[in-house]
Amino acid sequence: MSDGRLRALAERSGRTCRRLREAIARTGRIARWEVRRSAGTVDRKTVIALVVMLLAVGTAGFSATDDGLGLEREIYVVGVDEGSRYYDVAADSEQFRPVPLADVIAEHDGATNGDDIVVRGDATVDVVVTRDGRIGHVGENGAAAYDEFRTAIETYNANLMADEEDHAAAYPVHVTLEYRDRDRPRSPASGADDGDESGEGTGAVDGSSETGDGESAADDTGGDEPLQVPAIGGGGSASSTGTPGSIAPPFPFTSLVLAFLFVVPMNFVIQAYGSTIMDERVKRRGELLLVSPASRSEIVAGKTLPYLLGLAGVVVAIALAIDGGPVAVAAALPIALLFLAAAFVGAMFARSFKELTFVTVTISVVLTTYTFVPAIFTDVTSIALISPLTLVVMDLQNESVRLGEYLFSTGPFYLSAAVCFLLGIGVYREEDMFAQKPIPAKILDAIANRVRGPWSIPLLSILFLPFVFASQLLSVALLFAVPQSVAIPVVVLVAASVEEIAKSIHVYAGVTRSRFDATLRTAVVVGALSGSGFFVGEKLTHVVQFVGLPDLAVGTAAFGPAVSSEPLILGAVFLAPLALHVGTAVCSAVGASRGRAGYALGLLTAVLVHVAYNLGVFVLVA
Amino acid sequence: MAILEVTDLRKVYGGFTAVEGSSFEIERGEVFGVVGPNGAGKTTTLKMLAGLIEPTAGTAVVAGHTPGDAEMQRQLGFLPEESPLYEEMTATGYLEFFADLYDVPGDVARERIHDSLDRLDLEHRDRRIGNMSKGMQRKVAIARALVNDPDVLIFDEPASGLDPLTTNYIIEFTRELSDEGKTIVFSAHNLFHVESICDRIVIMNDGRIVARGTLEEIRAAHGGTEYHVYATADGSDGLPDGRDPIEVTRENGQVSHLVADMSAVEAVQDAVEADGGRVTDIQTQTPSLEEIFLDVASEPTAEGES
Repeated sequence: MSDGRLRALAERSGRTCRRLREAIARTGRIARWEVRRSAGTVDRKTVIALVVMLLAVGTAGFSATDDGLGLEREIYVVGVDEGSRYYDVAADSEQFRPVPLADVIAEHDGATNGDDIVVRGDATVDVVVTRDGRIGHVGENGAAAYDEFRTAIETYNANLMADEEDHAAAYPVHVTLEYRDRDRPRSPASGADDGDESGEGTGAVDGSSETGDGESAADDTGGDEPLQVPAIGGGGSASSTGTPGSIAPPFPFTSLVLAFLFVVPMNFVIQAYGSTIMDERVKRRGELLLVSPASRSEIVAGKTLPYLLGLAGVVVAIALAIDGGPVAVAAALPIALLFLAAAFVGAMFARSFKELTFVTVTISVVLTTYTFVPAIFTDVTSIALISPLTLVVMDLQNESVRLGEYLFSTGPFYLSAAVCFLLGIGVYREEDMFAQKPIPAKILDAIANRVRGPWSIPLLSILFLPFVFASQLLSVALLFAVPQSVAIPVVVLVAASVEEIAKSIHVYAGVTRSRFDATLRTAVVVGALSGSGFFVGEKLTHVVQFVGLPDLAVGTAAFGPAVSSEPLILGAVFLAPLALHVGTAVCSAVGASRGRAGYALGLLTAVLVHVAYNLGVFVLVA
Repeated sequence: MAILEVTDLRKVYGGFTAVEGSSFEIERGEVFGVVGPNGAGKTTTLKMLAGLIEPTAGTAVVAGHTPGDAEMQRQLGFLPEESPLYEEMTATGYLEFFADLYDVPGDVARERIHDSLDRLDLEHRDRRIGNMSKGMQRKVAIARALVNDPDVLIFDEPASGLDPLTTNYIIEFTRELSDEGKTIVFSAHNLFHVESICDRIVIMNDGRIVARGTLEEIRAAHGGTEYHVYATADGSDGLPDGRDPIEVTRENGQVSHLVADMSAVEAVQDAVEADGGRVTDIQTQTPSLEEIFLDVASEPTAEGES
């Protein structure tokens, strides 16, 4: 390379660095002033509401983990003699404070008369253990204290058993719990033919021969490939072994509640963030920022940064409070990012604060459902991995999370957030952000702003894939428990509809906003480009193969069956989707070029063709 | 030397053409008026110059840069028709924020802000903007447009909706800025203000420029100065071809001849004297910008005028 070229390259790099530095500086300034400005808008009532919310979240967290604050420490008093076998139960339990029986019993020698326990009038006691071993309760809290004392006795006994050196004597019965895949035919040898809908199989075996090593199911099926993800919990062959008392149902209640704590503040923060963006649009207040040297991206980044950093701080604080690790934080952050991105684009589309409320509530409900519901199945099925909250639950259960699992769970969140910001920034300009249009028209504007020439069409098809992927994953998760006869047709229809909309909506937006001529030739060209782009992008989504979703029937309905190893079939299966996507995209595009009704008709035809294709492939492969 | 050049600027919203092929140049230090009825395309034109709206076609160059370019935005001060301020901020806080955004060093910014607010006679600078009167808010908005010490100022209806005292103050301030060498693009519905401070003017109607030039040039092109010739006798009958008066009125034995130019005045004078009368008085009548504006705005827009 000549000196001149090197110099030019150095100059170009220097310019780029300078611009980047300036952009970061401007973004930082906007963020700083946004904090100062917003501080002036928070009144005392809001601060009080915020504090109450934080206290509620904190209390819930501590209650769930049952430590930290020690709110339940010695809340009950037990009248029990030191010689009683129940004394150690009371002494070991944090909830109980033992007091001598003589201090609470009214009778002269502390004995009881018949079935009655007579307590002294001035004694403060909830549970009384008589010298002959009978247990009774007194006062308003007595019943609750009695229940807790029973639980404390069980815990005490369990601990005694656990400390027993002769394990077989302590636990003469061992149980192996094996989860069976509900979508797979059961093996006659599985011994799980109990007809139970849950597919659980149990069998009592001799404790000496079945002492499991305690390794988690996730670890059993991990594999060594860098992107391979184990089938979590009941991915088909997982099992756990232990005593009857040690085997818990596959519902990680505590971890789930704690994981949910991450999502709670996000629901509040997006309200404030959405209002900030809306504020810019009301009375055209954001107009003057648009004539400043700051670009649209810098303005949006500057306004978003304080909320993102705030949420990151809250996430870290919650993680510290509930003993979550870096994985929990890294899994919660993309959720926060998508919450903000969705709120941003929603605030850009809403026409009023009233409409914004509707939008943010919808975002809260959809994203909370999307993240929380799959996480319930953390210990049951790999479907749970569609939610990053599952990673949080896994982290809280001290299960390891692989890179593949992390990318699979968080990838759609990062990409969807990026696309939302991209669309929102597209309409963050004078002509769009102050215009009073219905939300669907604004969505079309936002998409049309990204349509710049025919080559932007395949790019947009690829960019919409995270939404397609997320929609399909959500449909799989929601219909997971529904009978297959209903779930599969619905998933096939949803998957086809979502894909066809993703392939055509930008073409329709481009036509309606005069980005293209509404001619047949143009429609065919952009339709073919859209279908091809989608095909290329779709190949990227084959990451689902790594987590075994297509092994499930509903997973197959959404993502298609596994590819055969035969070269000819492989080639056909590879190229057939290209023909499908191009054909249906052209169909929708031709419809779009004929107006709204034409687009609806074209889209409907494309969906039907797509559904027929998918069903045909199932039949063929089957 | 032109600091602002506009060539065939066009803006189309859907099927509606807001601005159709506007072209003009503005010299450094000039106060350039843009007037026209509501919906004429004035604000759209100004927003295209400010980089807020992307033109459908045509170009604009402001201080050597394209609108929207960060460097151009540094040299521009824009005052929109509304005063969209952050009402929860104080005046000084708000101005410091924008100064920061324009990379103005802190001490320079504080001095500039202080100076601007002094000149604008704005008190209660640490009061929240939301608690200020409309006139005070407008002054803050003007100070914001000056915070980066721009070469070019675009003022869209700077005194809209304000009381006469504040309006007068703002117009005087605009004149002062012009005297300091700022180039100002000025739009107002009050044509008296435009007439009083603008060096050149364009009149827009239906998205097109229908008249342009200095006030005198516009007068000349759209009506110009007219003359009343008062005489004791009617001279209109004896005028040569093409010298017909615009209007002849008779009152109290006096005949008033309204004619378009000095040669017509001389012709009327000759005709009156030939008829045995005499000219008693000659008065000039200059149409105001408002009269020209009403005249021009009521005419159908001519194709090709831009």
